[in-house]
Amino acid sequence: MVNEQTPTHHQAEADDRALFGFWIYLMTDLLMFSVLFAVYAVLHDNTDGGKTGKELFDLNLALTGTIILLVSSFTCGVGMIAARAGRKNQVLTWFGLTFILGLSFLALEFNEFSILIREGHTIQSNAFLSSFFALVGTHGLHIIAGLLWIAVTLGYIVKRGLNSNMVRKLAMLSLFWHFLDIVWIFIFTIVYLRAFV
Amino acid sequence: MKDSSANDSKKPIKEHGTTSSYVAGFVLSLIFTIIPYYLVINHKFSTSALISTIISFGIAQMIVQVVFFLHLGRGPKPFYNIVFFFATVGLIVVVIGGSVFIMNNLHYNMTPSEASKHLAEKEAIYQVEGTLTGACQKILANHVVTISGGKVTPHHTDARLCDTLTFINQDSRVSIITFGPHPRHETYSGESELTVKKGKNKTITLNQSGMYQYHDHLDPTIAGDFIVTK
Amino acid sequence: MKEFLLGKINMDSLPHEWFTFGGSLAFIGLGLFLVIVITRLKRWNWLWKEWITTVDPKKIGIMYFLVSGFMLVRGGLETLMIWLQQSFSVDKSHGFLTADHFQQIFTAHGNIMVFFVAMGFIFGLINYIVPLQIGARDLASPFLNTLGFWLFAAGAIMVSMFFLLGGQYAATGWLAVAPLSGKEFSPGVGVDYWIWSLQISGIGTTLGAINFVMTILKMRAPGMSLGKMPLFTWGAFCSMIMAVAVFPLLTATLFLMFFDRYLGAHFFTTVGGGDPMMYTNLIWMWGHPEVYILMLPCFGIFSEVVSTFSRKPIASYKSNVLGMIGVSTFALSVWLHHFFTMGAGADVNAFFGVMTMIIAIPTSALVFNWIATMYKGRINFSTPMLWFLGFIAVFSIGGMSGVLLAIPPADFQLHNSLFLVAHFHSMVIGGVLFGVFCGISYWFPKFTGLRLNERIGRYAFWFWTIGFCLSFIPMYILGLMGATRRLDHYDSSTGWRPLFIVMLVGGIVIAVGLALQIVQIIATFIQKNHLRDTTGDPWNARSLEWATASPPPFYNFTTIPEVSSIDAFWEMKHNGIPETKYQDIHIPKNTAAGFYISCFAFLVGFAFVWEIVWLAVVSIIGIIVVFIFRGFNDEPEYILTAREVQDLEEARTKKHLERTKLANDDDTEDMGVIDFIKIVISFAKDIVVNKRWRKW
Repeated sequence: MVNEQTPTHHQAEADDRALFGFWIYLMTDLLMFSVLFAVYAVLHDNTDGGKTGKELFDLNLALTGTIILLVSSFTCGVGMIAARAGRKNQVLTWFGLTFILGLSFLALEFNEFSILIREGHTIQSNAFLSSFFALVGTHGLHIIAGLLWIAVTLGYIVKRGLNSNMVRKLAMLSLFWHFLDIVWIFIFTIVYLRAFV
Repeated sequence: MKDSSANDSKKPIKEHGTTSSYVAGFVLSLIFTIIPYYLVINHKFSTSALISTIISFGIAQMIVQVVFFLHLGRGPKPFYNIVFFFATVGLIVVVIGGSVFIMNNLHYNMTPSEASKHLAEKEAIYQVEGTLTGACQKILANHVVTISGGKVTPHHTDARLCDTLTFINQDSRVSIITFGPHPRHETYSGESELTVKKGKNKTITLNQSGMYQYHDHLDPTIAGDFIVTK
Repeated sequence: MKEFLLGKINMDSLPHEWFTFGGSLAFIGLGLFLVIVITRLKRWNWLWKEWITTVDPKKIGIMYFLVSGFMLVRGGLETLMIWLQQSFSVDKSHGFLTADHFQQIFTAHGNIMVFFVAMGFIFGLINYIVPLQIGARDLASPFLNTLGFWLFAAGAIMVSMFFLLGGQYAATGWLAVAPLSGKEFSPGVGVDYWIWSLQISGIGTTLGAINFVMTILKMRAPGMSLGKMPLFTWGAFCSMIMAVAVFPLLTATLFLMFFDRYLGAHFFTTVGGGDPMMYTNLIWMWGHPEVYILMLPCFGIFSEVVSTFSRKPIASYKSNVLGMIGVSTFALSVWLHHFFTMGAGADVNAFFGVMTMIIAIPTSALVFNWIATMYKGRINFSTPMLWFLGFIAVFSIGGMSGVLLAIPPADFQLHNSLFLVAHFHSMVIGGVLFGVFCGISYWFPKFTGLRLNERIGRYAFWFWTIGFCLSFIPMYILGLMGATRRLDHYDSSTGWRPLFIVMLVGGIVIAVGLALQIVQIIATFIQKNHLRDTTGDPWNARSLEWATASPPPFYNFTTIPEVSSIDAFWEMKHNGIPETKYQDIHIPKNTAAGFYISCFAFLVGFAFVWEIVWLAVVSIIGIIVVFIFRGFNDEPEYILTAREVQDLEEARTKKHLERTKLANDDDTEDMGVIDFIKIVISFAKDIVVNKRWRKW
């Protein structure tokens, strides 16, 4: 399975449990996002006389971000196949690519936020912007966490090689990354597309 | 930490994707992103139809990603993770749906100025401690608007303050009159929407002067306006 | 520069009122006392190795009990302060508390009792008992469990930190309703302490709950299908599932509140388009299921106890399990009944009112099930059974008043009255606290190998139950007379005062009950030879936790049992206990990572309370670094060989035989309170007369 000895039954069970536990964690994270979505759904009209989403957002930019994230999800998946096959260099390439794509998504979001803030549309402006920044910003924080995780994992893989423990870490990482993609789809739909309907 | 006899039946089966499944998922996701984008940019449908369409595409895409990227349902049995996923989705529906259900209902009943105006009108309270509430003391005249065959007659009504306006629904379905040009929903005289069942009528008192538009929430082509002068 | 280093901390933050002085002295005094004792006994190394870094759920369970027991005493003192104030603050007298201080006390009372007493006890019991009941050697992720506990402990310290620094706790009620808890109306640090103590312990709860869901689903002994799981484990499972489902909602809501206060956002403010009622909506979405998270494991405890002490299998296992599942499902869709009076329309109120009443159905199915289990059983009226019977009485009264409150028009009258307060105390004291006491007296022999002193235990039970009735029945009446909750002053013409005084008397009786429980535990250790449980199965019990030694070895079972029926141990006793086979055991290594992360988490909270940016940044980086090191640690386990297990077991058996001999030679009786006082006096005399204190 991996270049070291085959994992014992004990370890296979531990892996199964760890992945399952991580899955439950992802569900709790999803529930946290659901609160942010609920708040956005309730408060998105409360602009307090300020600009609406339609006047503030750039839909093309959001679409670009979506596609970048989608591609990164794909590269991450392909990287995972390489990891299960034990091909270290391919893992480094594909996950490296995921990292770069994630970083460019983050740059795009950072750019969007900084323009908004420079024009005086901050989290303090009104309830609509508060909920917008909280929702999109929380997703951004998760992306940062994911990037950090990719970087550290790749560092360890370079140092220690691709052992079964690392494959498990990568499996969790890829779950996390796909999950962020799914959350973003809903942000794109409910925050950005919805504003232009 | 369980000894090995426990789970011998649970042999790990192929739970990981292949490159082709990732490619399929990727292409489908891309399509499901571009279509709603295109629909929104070109305003293909009416507002409510468009919103439900894009949300459906969002859900479709989620399913695609869950199946092709997360490989839900291909792990070892029993599928606890699937159960958890669906339970979570259900709970999210409760959290978001419940919040929207409750808060909309609250706003409908409780926006303070509208609620008090509504109440003043219903209870015929003309003034509180010397301040006029905006409710009418005496009704002057009545105007009638008839909805039939998907049209409003007359399309335009001129009225004076403290007249009344009656909506008569002669269509075969319910009509929900909301105020403001489509798609905006505003309130008039404390009412955010008037539900007029088929064959029935509803009357409002015109206690705010100015020009107002109204439309049927279920079919925005049914629309009209009225001007209230002092 | 000073502001950069210390944030908002200045001279005014230091204690300068009698209660902050008192609290700080107690805080520092207790800390110093512990440090001196540990240093004197040279136990630091032991403390670190055996307790702080431990991953053994049994030890973590004991630590939960210690923290919660301590917090119970503190929360109890607050109760007495509240009732003292309400008894004397009539007409011209304004009592001994200012209005603001009174508000802080009832806020702290609510937080401490729910988060740090009830939650702590429940987690303690689950930690200790669930792995034993399902025949597991440890938890799915021992590290997450330590992390959960230490975050809980950090939260408990955070909730008391205001004595030392800041001088004020939130004065907003236990859920800090918006917009009162916003920066505009609560500018001090009290609400920030509230946010961060709940946030930290809440995250700990989520992690702990994830761990138990994994453990129960994936680590049961061979043969134990979900349909053969003991009922306490079922209760714990339902409760942990609910915790996983709703604690994230709390975390997110608290973060939004934090953004409002710290970043000036407009989620729950009255200006800028914010919506305070959204806060109420979100917090109760967590808050209502929270009560059931506490309640369900107690249902499980009662199910175990009633079947053990009636010498019968539970009347209907299936309906019991379905009842618990039903309660936990419906509990997720009733939250609006906490704010019927908010102003939503009739359809919304009607929907949630009906949902609330539906919950009574699975709950009463459980109650009837327990009663049916007792029917024709040979009931043994030991203390655990007494707590159960007390529970049935109090809980039924509370449940009935709950159904009354679920009717929206009635709720419009009773909302925020003392009737409501009496209702939920019936549920939380009668249900949860009695459940915890029942569980502790039932499993005490498992924890320590000693049976609890039965005589003093009975006294404690009667003091608690009578005190409870004295306090809360007048409270129902007061509520119907129109007394609102959170009153710190009223007019004597209302005629409430006599009832308030009865409540105070009831409170004192309860306090005596609590003191008796502490005496009971000390007395048990004094008579440890007499009370030694030599059989390992003192109650003739039915489930797997009794199949191993008391207290169990750190690997729980030498041989993992095979399960073929619901009452696994009962079955074993009747079919013969299988022979012991020694085998290699994987044991998780101790880790300090949970402790370190919790220290950093505490600092993050502290930094945000006082707006010290650098400290927050440093601590967050600290958390990440520890996580990385822990996450990429390749060797979290070691192997205990069969040989070593055998040596350990033989040593234990030898010790057990010695102890059995001592126990058989001891023919004393359970001591009473007077005997206890005599012993304490002679002990004190001995110290003074023989100058024993010189040795220290």
